[in-house]
Amino acid sequence: MSYLNESFALLKKDIKCELRTRFAANAIFLFAFTTLIVISYSIAPYRIDEPHRPFIYATLLWIILVFSAFSGLSRSFVKEAEAYTEDLLRLSTQPEVVYTGKMLFNTTLLLLLELLIVPVFLLLMNIRVGHAHYLILLLLFGGVGLSATTTMVAAMIARARVKGVLFSALSFPLTFPLLITLIKGTEKSFMEADIVHWDEVRVAVAYIIVIGVLSLFLFPIIWRD
Amino acid sequence: MIRHKTLKIVLTILMSFVLFGSFLYTRNAAGFPGESSRIMFFHVPQAWVAVMAFSLSMVFSVIYLKKRDVRYDMLAVSSSELGFLFCILAMLTGSMFARLTWGSFWNWDPRETSILILLMIYGAYFALRSAVNDQDDKRKFSAVYSLLAFATVPFFIFIVPRITISLHPSDTMNPMNPQLDFRFMLVFILALVAFTGIFFWMLSLKYRWLQLEEKFNRMDTSWDLD
Repeated sequence: MSYLNESFALLKKDIKCELRTRFAANAIFLFAFTTLIVISYSIAPYRIDEPHRPFIYATLLWIILVFSAFSGLSRSFVKEAEAYTEDLLRLSTQPEVVYTGKMLFNTTLLLLLELLIVPVFLLLMNIRVGHAHYLILLLLFGGVGLSATTTMVAAMIARARVKGVLFSALSFPLTFPLLITLIKGTEKSFMEADIVHWDEVRVAVAYIIVIGVLSLFLFPIIWRD
Repeated sequence: MIRHKTLKIVLTILMSFVLFGSFLYTRNAAGFPGESSRIMFFHVPQAWVAVMAFSLSMVFSVIYLKKRDVRYDMLAVSSSELGFLFCILAMLTGSMFARLTWGSFWNWDPRETSILILLMIYGAYFALRSAVNDQDDKRKFSAVYSLLAFATVPFFIFIVPRITISLHPSDTMNPMNPQLDFRFMLVFILALVAFTGIFFWMLSLKYRWLQLEEKFNRMDTSWDLD
């Protein structure tokens, strides 16, 4: 129990810090809104033919979400290093707690981003969602999966020389299978046809389990000095 | 050292036989346009060596994390660098074959997608290595990254082929296919052996080079020239 309590304490601390500076949130939301507006301005609702819409819109949605997430999530460990609080964190708790806490914080940020961006996107592009529950599940598990991977990468790049570019370069190959699945599933949820097997949701859950378990094993190696 | 020398001679003979054999000794396989089936003597061994090199690199990374012995990190890097090289070669030859049989150099067939992702993963791996200053961190991080990347590989195998159907001729060109004649099989198997041999020879070269470099660096700092 104390394990989860400590993780939530770290999450609370990170949220408090974030509310003071709004560094990551500002970067993520501004990036997301800018790309969203550019996309919706240049391909307004009726520019694309009806049959092509679902997969193009699904791809665009995930491009917006993923790239804006990448622009902000890289900060989660860098900010500890810059504030010289890294060693304090290392002393005060065990590595697994740090990983879980940071992952929870990143997940919170991502889910917030999705909560703000997805409705606006659906509105601006005039999309009728055929299966809302499927889309919600994909957004939820997609957010968790992305943050599970990016937390590991963020911890590594905090001690590298070039940070921002390296973060995207390292995260992209790792998240690629998840992204393909999410885009495929989102396309399905935009269509009217029935969803028989929940393939995409199952793949996303499997991805979270594999990466989550492996990260709990590997994070102590990165974190400990 | 003598053993090393004889191995090199054997490898030279073997490779020359493969080179001549693949163009002069074998006949064209049925069902493939023109001389295109001959690319199999190069493309398949290259792809096999790339996969073997990346797997070896993963194994060395795990051993490094377990033992924290620098030598295993050297082996892991050398192995993944060679894997990268052979991966590019396999991609180029495969793309040439794709142009001849499928009509275009690149069309996002599952095999092409997965080989590109492999290149991206190891590109990121080298980027990570060059960006971290601390030697110990560098070794740990790259080992961890290659393990994480390895964990995502099953997803490619299971997911990507389901999205589109592969046109890759691994079924028709399978060496177990009884339609392929004896000469074809002989040269093909020898090519596999020769390319594997070349890989291990290059690996030992790279490994010894890294060891010398390490020794040199240590000497350099202890002398403190100026």
